[in-house]
Formats: sequence, structure tokens, C-alpha cells
Amino acid sequence: MSFLNIENVNKHYFDVEVLKSINIEINKGDFLVLVGPSGCGKSTLLNMIAGLDEISGGDISIDGQSMAGVHPSKRDIAMVFQSYALYPNMSVAKNISFGLEMRKVPKVERDKAVQKVAKMLQMEQLLDRKPSQLSGGQRQRVAMGRALVREPRVFLFDEPLSNLDAKLRVDMRTEIKQLHQRLGATIVYVTHDQIEAMTLATKIAVMNAGIVQQFGSPEEIYDNPVNTFVAGFMGSPSMNLIQAKVCKVEDKLCFEVATADQDRPLLLPIERDQQALVSYLNRNVTLGLRPETITDPGSANRSEGQIHEADLMVKVTEPTGADMFVVTQLGGTEVVARMRSRCGALAGQSCRFAFDVSRNLAFDGDTGDRIQ
Amino acid sequence: MSASSQDNALRSGIAWRVLIYSVLIVTAVIYLAPLFVMLVTSLKSLEEIRMGNMMALPLQITFEPWLKAWGSACLGLDCNGISGYFWNSLKITVPAVAIGTLLGAFNGYVLTKWRFRGHQWVFGMMLFACFIPFQIVLLPMSQVLGWLGLANTTSGLVLVHVVYGLGFTTLFFRNFYEAFPDELIRASVMDGAGFFTIFGRILLPNSGPIIVVTVIWQFTNIWNDFLFGASFASGDTAPITVALNNLVNSSTGVKEYNVHMAAAITAALPTLLVYVVAGRYFVRGLMAGSVKG
Ligand SMILES: Nc1ncnc2c1ncn2[C@@H]1O[C@H](COP(=O)(O)OP(=O)(O)O)[C@@H](O)[C@H]1O
Ligand SMILES: [Mg+2]
Repeated sequence: MSFLNIENVNKHYFDVEVLKSINIEINKGDFLVLVGPSGCGKSTLLNMIAGLDEISGGDISIDGQSMAGVHPSKRDIAMVFQSYALYPNMSVAKNISFGLEMRKVPKVERDKAVQKVAKMLQMEQLLDRKPSQLSGGQRQRVAMGRALVREPRVFLFDEPLSNLDAKLRVDMRTEIKQLHQRLGATIVYVTHDQIEAMTLATKIAVMNAGIVQQFGSPEEIYDNPVNTFVAGFMGSPSMNLIQAKVCKVEDKLCFEVATADQDRPLLLPIERDQQALVSYLNRNVTLGLRPETITDPGSANRSEGQIHEADLMVKVTEPTGADMFVVTQLGGTEVVARMRSRCGALAGQSCRFAFDVSRNLAFDGDTGDRIQ
Repeated sequence: MSASSQDNALRSGIAWRVLIYSVLIVTAVIYLAPLFVMLVTSLKSLEEIRMGNMMALPLQITFEPWLKAWGSACLGLDCNGISGYFWNSLKITVPAVAIGTLLGAFNGYVLTKWRFRGHQWVFGMMLFACFIPFQIVLLPMSQVLGWLGLANTTSGLVLVHVVYGLGFTTLFFRNFYEAFPDELIRASVMDGAGFFTIFGRILLPNSGPIIVVTVIWQFTNIWNDFLFGASFASGDTAPITVALNNLVNSSTGVKEYNVHMAAAITAALPTLLVYVVAGRYFVRGLMAGSVKG
């Protein structure tokens, strides 16, 4: 029995459909991340779970109990807002205990709960300050404290880290993850940052244009994206999506990909989803190659993958320190490969690339749906 | 070369400054001259005033005119000064400002945070109230006051001022709350706060600047009002503006300019005081919303 169940949920503002038949189920203790580009309806969905927005159709239930008509404050849910939404006129301690006060928890217990949360988040020395006297990271902490103190059934986070600088964001990400593991809390977390989604989630729902494109574990989403949107959205640098043709060479199915040299297209043997791809013979498909599946021959993973090597022109190299991203031209677009930083690739020269063809993905050229 | 051009720039900067300051000083003098005349006149005896120079400082300072204006000047037949009317004005202004401001805040809260169908229309109509001239409402208002049995009473005038000011106070608060983050309201809903708790515990405590603006605006308008006071209150319930007019018009025989001036300054003191105490916030409040903080 799932803990949080979102069933066929619709949302429209007047005649504008913002969410279309959303179906998501998670278990107690899951960390669900709703990820997608800005404006795809993530916040709307979160607000509907909270009860702050009305549902136009469908139902949301928590622990088997339908939330239809249940007031936000009666759902046993706490929410952390993007702007933190701390009450400017109240001290940190007051901010944290306000929800308890509204629930008529006696003062002594409130104080105890505030102390406990302050200790957990290491902000005991901040309790008497006003929100305006806090840094961004500290405000973030207070906002989380306000949610934690209620010990709710479900935590909702709406892009909680998007207002922090890069360094702090990574620290807080780790902290949220630890908090989840320590408390075993059920969390729904909204972000447009796919790295946040990958690092935090036990379940990811990738959304676009009001539709859940794919729902699954981070590994499923990363390794088996169901369409080009999910494939391109998740991963950094993002997956190379290039035009290719399915053809047969000496009785073996191959992807034929145009290279910078018109006379010599690249032929990549098809090692997965062969049966499905047979019907695409001589048709165009979109080929998906993750940057880390294209390497220099020396670092290719020959024990697990199936390596196919080819010489290609290097257009640009981008050293990152640990790795070097090497850009070449394939199928009319730029393709990024991830090589060791000392692989010796030079811009404007030819270089040997190793493709792990066992991880190549194919998508329908027209619909963008995965062929498998 | 660069040294001399810098020197030039410096000198033209000074010239510019001198010009600006001269203009400012002249303007200030023009503005302050009447107040100065009022003040010195109120401190002179009648004989000294008759001697002539309006701008001259008093040869001998006397507070007699002030005491007389406050306690024993004659308005018509009644010779008790303006003190009673001063209190009348306070009894009208303070409740009217408090009620008007609170209602405006409440309207602004509902119009921005609890939107209902047609909220723009309601707000539009309230805005319209800001543009209705005083004179138009005189007759209907006196009719209504008559029906309510509030004609010629202090509560009647309070009601008139609250109703007439509601358009403005609502406008002020609506625009202020429009910029007030919705997420704060949502957070307090999740925290379990109800409609009035949110208003009293979250919204009002964070409305300092706009409360100051509204209070100053309402206070000056209501305190300085003459028309409503003259129309809806007479005799003992009249506000100080009406009393001042009666004082100046009813003196038989000699015109006691010094007493009149003292009375006029007394009548203006409360609004001056409000500006001095809250003026800094007034400017800040007018600019609130342009900067988030
Ligand atoms: N009150 C509203 N009225 C009309 N449209 C709205 C309203 N709130 C949100 N929307 C629309 O719904 C869509 C989804 O918004 P939102 O859930 O905030 O997106 P996200 O959080 O994914 O960036 C947007 O296109 C937005 O314009
Ligand atoms: Mg959002």
C-alpha cells in the first residue's frame, strides 16, 4: 500500500490546463523529487498536495486517507518555501514555534521542541534573532526547522536551495540528504536542477508541460529514459542526441552516423533493443549517447561494455581538471565525449574515440519515444 | 593641465552649490514667512501690533494672547476660548483615524490575499470614492446622519470621516499588501493560522510603514477638515477649525490679531507634531514596495 498516492490529478486555471492526469505513488520514507523546467507545473502539484491549491480532478491520498476537502493545516504536512517565508516580525524561535502555538501546544513543550530542532540544525545561537539578521543559509535552516518541529507525516520542499550560492547549495543538499536518512521522513521535493534530483531522490518524476514524462528510480531515469526529453534533461553534460540511420552491414544492424568527412560515415553496431530496431531498418532515428560512454581507448570499460573505436576530428577540448570534455562533430551536431585529462586530444586534429555501444539508446525520429 | 582642470571643476562645483543653496534658502524664507509673522504677532501686545511693523520681533514678549485664545476668548456669546473645540477635534480625529486605518488595512488584506470573484470591481469602486468631491456627499450624508440619529454629534462626524477616508486607506493598504509575499500567507495557513490570526499576527505587525503613511494622511485631512465640521456639527460639538473661523469672525469691536494668531497656531500644532514625529517614516513608507527588504 503506497503512502502518498496521486491519482489522475488534473489542474486547470479557467481553460488553461496546467497539469494533465498525474499519477504518482510513493512509499513511506521515500524521497520523491519533482524535476522539470520552469513553468511545467511542479509548484502547482506541490501546492495541491499541501492543499493550498484546489484540485480540478482526481484525488490525492496520504496513508490511505483521501485529502479531498481536508484543510492544509489538518493534513499533517509541513512545507519549506522557495523564499523561506519566515515571518519578518518574529524571532527565529517564534518562527519555529508559531505552528505549534496555532495547534495549542503548551508553552513548555513548545520551548522544548524548539530547543531540540535548534540543536539538530546547529542554530541554538540564532534563536533570538530576527530573520533580517540572518544570512541566506541561516534563513534556509530556520525554514527547515519550522517544518521539522512539527514532525509531520510528509515534508514538502519547493526549490529550497535555489536562492543560495553554489557552495552553500551543495552543503545544504548533503545536509538535507542526511536529514532524510536520519529521520526516515517522507519527502516531496521540487527542483529544476537535475543534479539535485539525482543526488537526493529515491524516486524521480520528470515533468514537462504539465505531464509526468517518466517516474522511476534515479537509475531507471538515467539509464532508461523513455523519451528524448527525459534523456536530454537528466545528466550533465547532457546526453548527445544525434541523427542516425538504421542500416544493415554484412547482416548486422548498425547505426549510420554522418561525420565531418562526408565519404566516411561512422558505423556503430547495434547491441541492444535489436528486435525493436529491426522495423526501423533504413529509417532515421535519434541516437542517444551519454558523454561518459564515449571515451579515449585507454579508459574504455572493456570488461562490462562493448567497445567500438573510430578516428574522428576534434573540434574543441574543454579540460575540467579531473576529466576533459572533447567535442567532435557527429550527425550534424556537436557531440561531447568524456576523456581522461591527459588523453592527448588536440583541437583540429584527429583522435581515437572509443564508443561503448552496449549503452547506446535509440529514439523514434518523429515522436522522440524510446525504441525498445 | 589636469591639475588646473580639476581646479576648475572644483570651483564650478562650488558655484553650483552656492546657487542651489541660495534658491533653497529663498524658498524656505518665502514658505516660513507667514509662520514667522503669526508667531511674532501672537507674542505681541495689541498696542505693539498697532505700532506697525509686521516682521519686527516683539519688544516685549507676552503670553497673554495664548492664554486668552485657549481659555477666555469669545466666540459669539460664549467666552471660554478654543480649548473645548480643541478636545472636540481630538475626539473626532483619533477614533476616525484609528477606525479608518484599521478598516483600510482589513480591506487591503481581503482584496489582495483572499481574492474573490469581482474583487477588481469592488476595488475600482472604492478607488472611485477617492475622486468624489466633498460637496457632493454633503446632502446625502446629512440625510443619513439624520436617519441614524447622529446629526450634530461627535460620533456622526467620526462616521463621516471614516466613510470618506475609506477609499484612500483601502488604496494605500491594498497597494502595500499587493507586494506582500503570498508565500508568507501560505506558510501561515500551513501553520494553522486562521483568517483573523493571519491578519493580526502576520500582516499588521509587518505594515509599519504604510500604517504611518495612512495615519499621517488621515490625521491631517480630518484635523484640518472644515466643510464636514461646519455642515454636520454646530455649537458645542464643532471641531477647532470651525471654532477658529467663529473666533475670527465674531470678535466685536477691535480685532485681536495676537489672539487669532495664537489660536491658529494652536489649531495647527497637532498636525505639525504628527509630521515631526512620523515624517521620516512617511517618506520611507511612500517608497516602500520599490525596495524589498
Ligand atoms: N494562479 C494562476 N493562474 C493562472 N495560471 C497559473 C497560476 N499559477 C500558475 N499558473 C501557470 O501554471 C503553470 C505552472 O506553474 P508552476 O507550477 O508555478 O510551475 P513551476 O513551479 O514548475 O515552475 C505556469 O505556466 C503558470 O503560468
Ligand atoms: Mg515553482
